[in-house]
Amino acid sequence: MPKSEQGAVRRALSRFALPAAALAVAALLVTFPIWSTPWESSRYATGILRDMLILAILALSLDLLVGSAGMPSLGHAAYFGAGAYAAAIAGQRLGNDDLLLGLGAAILVSALLALVIGTVAVRAAGIFFLMLTLAFAQMVFAIAFQAADITGGSNGLVVFLLVLLLAWRLRSSAYGRALVGLRENERRMRALGYDTTRLKLSAFVVAGAIAGVGGALQAYSIRFVSPNDVGVARSVEAFVSVLIGGVSTLLGPVVGAVVVLFIERVMPSYIAFSETVLGLVFIVFVLAARRGIVGLVRESYARVRA
Amino acid sequence: MIETRELRREFGGIKALAGVTLKVAEGERRAIIGPNGAGKTTLFNVLTGELEPTAGEVRLAGEDVTGRRPHELARRGVARMYQRNELFDPLPARDNVAIGVAAAAGPYRPFRAPPASELLAAEELLERVGLAGRGSVPARALSHGERRQLELAVALARRPRVLLLDEPTAGMSPAETNRITDLIASLDRSLTLVVVEHDMDVVFRLAERISVLHEGRVIAEGTPAEVRGDTLVNEVYLGKVVA
Repeated sequence: MPKSEQGAVRRALSRFALPAAALAVAALLVTFPIWSTPWESSRYATGILRDMLILAILALSLDLLVGSAGMPSLGHAAYFGAGAYAAAIAGQRLGNDDLLLGLGAAILVSALLALVIGTVAVRAAGIFFLMLTLAFAQMVFAIAFQAADITGGSNGLVVFLLVLLLAWRLRSSAYGRALVGLRENERRMRALGYDTTRLKLSAFVVAGAIAGVGGALQAYSIRFVSPNDVGVARSVEAFVSVLIGGVSTLLGPVVGAVVVLFIERVMPSYIAFSETVLGLVFIVFVLAARRGIVGLVRESYARVRA
Repeated sequence: MIETRELRREFGGIKALAGVTLKVAEGERRAIIGPNGAGKTTLFNVLTGELEPTAGEVRLAGEDVTGRRPHELARRGVARMYQRNELFDPLPARDNVAIGVAAAAGPYRPFRAPPASELLAAEELLERVGLAGRGSVPARALSHGERRQLELAVALARRPRVLLLDEPTAGMSPAETNRITDLIASLDRSLTLVVVEHDMDVVFRLAERISVLHEGRVIAEGTPAEVRGDTLVNEVYLGKVVA
């Protein structure tokens, strides 16, 4: 094949590879009820898939902070939990279990909470930012209370795909590029006239609002909200998802969420010590594969092409 | 264009700036020279808003901008080429400049891809600083000389009115030094330049006026010829370099 033609094929491949992969995953998810019939009996599998989508949304929103903007938040479950409570309480008080109403309430409350906490937190950097976000999340956890049975159905997949689309648009926009600039060199960003404090706060609020969407879905599909949805374990789960899947790789947080919940929820039926497995996987990725699963796949793909 | 009045800055008990008064006219090309520790970098940090002065005043085009934050000064037209490049290392050279070009329109455009005009303007700037065809190379993969050229392009990206150049030729080979000096000399005459530089050949090529900073004070100021003839300057600084 002539060189120019090869180049064209490569360009076409790299141009369509990502949308094609996304389509394939979406198709797999949509047809889930069909190919999952072998284990459908207990509806356990459906529950796991739903939880994967919810964790994926939380991880996607966290990656906007950790990956794009370089702000490692360890309290991201606070906004998830706030969204869950907001959706639940709004549904209960208004006697209306419309998903859109719940999502609206969740986005509003989570964004507001992120605005309040972010105003303080974004003034710190690095490890101090991490500790501050953790401390605030613990405060939210402490005031969280049990909200009993909430009714409602959901269409989590549609919401998940919308969040994925939003994350993809954000990444390729001028806004996403500015966040990367923030991560790579804050001093230069300031010297170019970017108000970096405000930019960070905006990312914090957007990520909080999207986490709230995940929380609303949780409230609707599980019909139960507990303080654990706000707790540090949830924050860590999201963080580990982002790291294992691949920081700043768009699909990484989704892949990570699937892997984490697979290890946490599916593997225990087959082997003992699955918690240890998660820890080991995490350590391996932190030490050996900083770009996570998606990063590894992309690197080997690039090597094959070269 | 940019001036300071009795500018002071102390760190603990040390007076980095002990009352600096400077007045650089619009379109002027001013060099600031002085031995290490004279306060040159502290002065730049105050002029860009990265440090607040302990006392004194900074004025930009007549407006008192003392204590303004860096992004506010950048928006008013102050840009800086840092001594140690401040680049977005993993990003292609083109994007490094494009982020600067896009700064004027602001970052809050979350849904659409950056307009092609921004990338075009970035490519033009790259060409302007001699980096044509290098746009897709990550900043970290460029040579030291090229990184300095890119740093200059990024500093110019927002179309500043005042450009502060902090040792533009630091660490460069003689050939690279020549190239960047030519480049700076060829910049638009309406741009006000303030350059801190140790290489006296570069200083004499670029500057219309020179201010000599010593122990946080301006001890002499004048045309290159006047400064060359100043005995005090020769004692504290030039004596060691030119001899």
